[in-house]
Amino acid sequence: MHLKAPEHQVAGHIAKDGKPGPLVDDKGRFFKPLQGDSRGEIEVMFYESFSSNTQVPDNIRRYFPEYHGTQAVDGSDGAAMIVLENLLSKYSKPSVMDVKMGSRTWYPEASEEYIQKCLRKDKGTTTVSSGFRISGFEVYDHKELSFWKPNRKLLNGIKVDGVRLALRKFVSSNTLSNTSSKPDSAFVSSVYGGSKGILTQLLELKTWFENQTFYHFNSCSILMVYENDSILKGDVDDVQAQVKLVDFAHVHDGNGVIDHNFLGGLCSLINFIRDIVQNPDESSAEN
Amino acid sequence: MLKVPEHQVAGHIARDGKLGPLVDDEGRFYKPLQGDARGENEAKFYESFSLNKEVPDHIHRYFPVYHGTQLVEASNGSGKLPHMVLEDVVSGYLNPSVMDVKIGSRTWYPDVSEVYFKKCIKKDRETTTVSLGFRVSGFKIFDHQESSFWRPDKRVVLGYKVDGARLALRKFVSSNSLADSNSIPNCAFASEVYGGSNGILAQLLELKAWFETQTIFHFNSCSILMVYENDSFLMKGGATEQAPRAQVKLVDFAHVLDGNGVIDHNFLGGLCSFIKFVKDILQIVEERDDIDTSRLENGH
Repeated sequence: MHLKAPEHQVAGHIAKDGKPGPLVDDKGRFFKPLQGDSRGEIEVMFYESFSSNTQVPDNIRRYFPEYHGTQAVDGSDGAAMIVLENLLSKYSKPSVMDVKMGSRTWYPEASEEYIQKCLRKDKGTTTVSSGFRISGFEVYDHKELSFWKPNRKLLNGIKVDGVRLALRKFVSSNTLSNTSSKPDSAFVSSVYGGSKGILTQLLELKTWFENQTFYHFNSCSILMVYENDSILKGDVDDVQAQVKLVDFAHVHDGNGVIDHNFLGGLCSLINFIRDIVQNPDESSAEN
Repeated sequence: MLKVPEHQVAGHIARDGKLGPLVDDEGRFYKPLQGDARGENEAKFYESFSLNKEVPDHIHRYFPVYHGTQLVEASNGSGKLPHMVLEDVVSGYLNPSVMDVKIGSRTWYPDVSEVYFKKCIKKDRETTTVSLGFRVSGFKIFDHQESSFWRPDKRVVLGYKVDGARLALRKFVSSNSLADSNSIPNCAFASEVYGGSNGILAQLLELKAWFETQTIFHFNSCSILMVYENDSFLMKGGATEQAPRAQVKLVDFAHVLDGNGVIDHNFLGGLCSFIKFVKDILQIVEERDDIDTSRLENGH
């Protein structure tokens, strides 16, 4: 089994300085090291529960990575890894964005220290103001014919206008690294819009979140992906835009209550994207 | 002649020489302008809201009508103070059951003082605000067996956890002994008050649809008030039953801020959670009624 570091990871831990990071194989699988202090355990417990939960409708399962159990892997000191579907394996040139959902990333069951740490970060980012924050993204620039990703520190400091801009850049073709040029939103209708686009998928998720009380997806992210290769070959419509939920290290039981924290943030993200779809040139809020 | 409102369930109460709202006998509610900019903020909101053309007509019914401000003799004897003049939302009711539910998983908001933030977050964590996205602030219910109003102690209400909130929402539409904490609420009025095309759930869903797109206001620390008429459920010797006229109103706008192009995701999340609680009660009642009906049909 030949394992290597994933190419297009935009957020989360990466393999550096001897610390384990995720790996991918050539069979479409993603190996995620079990994080310490019970987070890895919680994530495994979530995947185990979710994969056997018969009350989750089929049309919602597609928004979650497939789970293939845990495995000890050579080269990671025999440490156990979670084996998941590699969400990017069917893409040849994917643009990817990771959006951390919820107006708070802390939750009642967490330690006081953790809560304070999260609160500080939530207040300093768009988490509190907008109900979500952009953790990272990588976009294919069709003029430069290469990938571009913004500086992580810069991203952490963006406010609401920065979020709007990033969501537009994500579906644009023009020189992205040049911050003074306006993004052209060239792929808005095929990536965000349409019956298979991201907005439709988010709306489907929203309906489920209005009723499901199984899980509270604290600190989870929504990953948005689409294919640039088909655009390069002249087919703007075949972008295979996909929404996936990822990162379940802090998921807890819903205990009969809906995940109002995630849902509020999801509705906010939907509104941002819908605004861009309805105003491909510029939304009223950006004037 | 102004007097202390009979049916106030939350907020400052004009009693024992304290400053609080008053009502007249013409359906108006006089709310003293609170100090430290809150009163000003609330009046500014009402003014802005009544003029705002982007608010659809069918949403206006969920807000008290605003009649400007007026100098009125204050309830604490400190002379004439400016008061906001609002619609008294319970004035058309003879014996209303009323509940105040503070909506949102946080009552603080960006840019507040550290002191205010700490005070809010402590209360949010101690109540169901963080866990449920809303908390019951207060309520009074007409007990049909005792023929009198019952209201729980404020400290008890603030101490509610998830089960307590659920129980309160059931008691709100029940006719059996509410004061007895051991009796199971019968939810006798659930379908008429919560359900139906004009019931509370239908109104909440209408509000939800507006909140999914409106970016004009952020309703920090606002409450939803639920009211209904008990007299419609009292047998009046052959008189036709009237509808309970269940009504939802948003109240308390001292902390409303501009939306700035972002939806009020804090209020919306809490509203959806509240909707789910009401839906669950309706579903249990429906299932129970179905079982009863089939029992009747099977000769039990």
